[in-house]
Amino acid sequence: MKNLNTLLAGVFLAVALPFGALVLSGQSQLGGLGRAAGEEGGALFPAREPGLAIQGRAVYVSLGCVSCHTQQVRPAGQGSDLARGLGARPSVARDYALQPQVLLGERRLGPDLANYGARSSQINVETLLTDPASSGAVWHPSYRFVDAAQRTALVAYLKSLRQDYPSPEAKLKK
Amino acid sequence: MTQDNRSGRPQGRPPEGDVRVSRVEASLRGPFLLFFVSAVIWLLVASVLGVIAALGLGSSVGVLRECSWFTPGRVAAAQQDLFVYGWGFNAFFALNLWLLSQLGRFEFRNGWLAQLGGVAWNLALTYGVARVFAGEMSGYRLLDFPREVGPVLAVAFLLAGFWPIVAFARRPTGHTFASQWFVVGASFAFPLVYLLAQLLVLWQPASGVVQAVAHSWFVANLLQLWFGASALAAIYYFLPKVLERTLTGYYLAPVAFWTFFLFAGWTGPAALVGSPVPLWLQSTGVVAAAMMIIPAIIIAINVHGTLSTQGGWGRAWNDTTLRFVSFGAVAFTLAGVLGGVFAFRAPSAVARFTSFATGLEQLLVYGCATMVVFGASYFVLPRLTGTLWPSAKLVHAHFWATALGFLLALVAWLVGGWQTGQLLANPAVAYADVLRAESSWFFLLTVSSVLLLVGHVAFALNAFGMILKAPAPASRHD
Repeated sequence: MKNLNTLLAGVFLAVALPFGALVLSGQSQLGGLGRAAGEEGGALFPAREPGLAIQGRAVYVSLGCVSCHTQQVRPAGQGSDLARGLGARPSVARDYALQPQVLLGERRLGPDLANYGARSSQINVETLLTDPASSGAVWHPSYRFVDAAQRTALVAYLKSLRQDYPSPEAKLKK
Repeated sequence: MTQDNRSGRPQGRPPEGDVRVSRVEASLRGPFLLFFVSAVIWLLVASVLGVIAALGLGSSVGVLRECSWFTPGRVAAAQQDLFVYGWGFNAFFALNLWLLSQLGRFEFRNGWLAQLGGVAWNLALTYGVARVFAGEMSGYRLLDFPREVGPVLAVAFLLAGFWPIVAFARRPTGHTFASQWFVVGASFAFPLVYLLAQLLVLWQPASGVVQAVAHSWFVANLLQLWFGASALAAIYYFLPKVLERTLTGYYLAPVAFWTFFLFAGWTGPAALVGSPVPLWLQSTGVVAAAMMIIPAIIIAINVHGTLSTQGGWGRAWNDTTLRFVSFGAVAFTLAGVLGGVFAFRAPSAVARFTSFATGLEQLLVYGCATMVVFGASYFVLPRLTGTLWPSAKLVHAHFWATALGFLLALVAWLVGGWQTGQLLANPAVAYADVLRAESSWFFLLTVSSVLLLVGHVAFALNAFGMILKAPAPASRHD
């Protein structure tokens, strides 16, 4: 403990080993993921994002929505996400393979949005932003300052969020 | 107990009438005060934002809600960034430098370089937070700043925060102490961690969910290896120093140091249990978080073992520095044990996505690190300024407001978070009812944020009053 070089070498390894094992190994395992068909001959998923949705993601990030909303469905045994109908299946890494910016989220002060685009009863986002109380979301902040173009892009982004397709790693229940 | 103790005067000050400051401390005065004053200013700004964030959780705050700068997401991000990079880093730049200069009898001849680093750090931080308020943030917690801010902060860190390593290298004796290991580790680990995270999250983003893995790795390292290690260094210094005793089982300290650094870096993915990342990554994080109980127990033996003998707790209660430092030491033990226990899959399934994780994180960042910095300030500032703390009442107000404010918030985060998690885990409970139950804790969080602000204002008034009435440096040199 008296030698500075030994101390620095030990600390360097304490940082570098987990980085290599967790992050670089993770990249080598998942870095090659791309679109794939859940069944032989089926359509390729995840779908490519429309341009408007890409703009909408920037609005989502800019407003800080990720601080209250998650975008992930946990498997059975890890919470009640599936039982609550947050998704038809658990989220898998491939679902996010095409996303330039992955916004899994850490807090669920508002509902999960991983399958917002697949929901049959979607809350009206325009109303939610301008007059949340009338849309039924009493705790949702008002975002009246968001202009119409941004609102349209945000809605396009939210509607692009869906994991209701079969994936090689997670089949849909028949 | 001395008369001074009974009157609530902070201890660790120079004797009455003696305004002589050692050459080592005189050489630190400029950079230390720059870091310290910056830290306290950021703490105040972060505390005001904390009140705004707490009010925004539970009620509509009219004007602010209509202002794009104050969306809950932006306020939360700016508040966290200011608290961590503004308060936490500046405070530990100052304290780590002082600690290693003391232990290594390091006379700081290049203070201007550290001051330059401090100015660059604070300017980059101001710019980064302004961009966050303008909505130009990354979406990754604690890496919110636009990516051009990262390299500036890294260079500023090297100028401002690398000096403890120089002080260690130039110490005149071969003997070392646990505080030195922890500070050297923290000062060396952070720039590595920060640059690697910047690279793989912002500059050349990793593929898909690997970004989340890299982010979890960064957050765990930032909190443990900077805040945790720096706070431990101070605990290991002030406890034996003020009690004038050796630490119980001090021979175990090297084991505590190496196990702490060895396991801390692997704990990140414990925050991703249930997420769409490989199971082996999640399990590695869980095992590492559980293993962190080992250094937590060893440090508890060193610290609580010392406090539990020869009336140590009583003496700690009657000494301002030790009152805060002991509070921090207890919080560290709790953070280590609870973090290990609640990382496992079953409790994690309940606690995830609730405020429980915030509670565990704040146990380390506020309960431990911040309280330790407060305690250390009561010891160090009188020595550097050669004056007394102006008001004992403000010292008491500071302790009680911050201690009570933090404990109230901790209850809301942990108990409220667990209750919310249990409701969420039951699919029969409607989501609106879950939110209603969670919102019942918001009032407690608001009261807590106001108490913390009051405590921080009391601390700032006292500290700034003391610095302003300090005699000119030239008259205090040996």
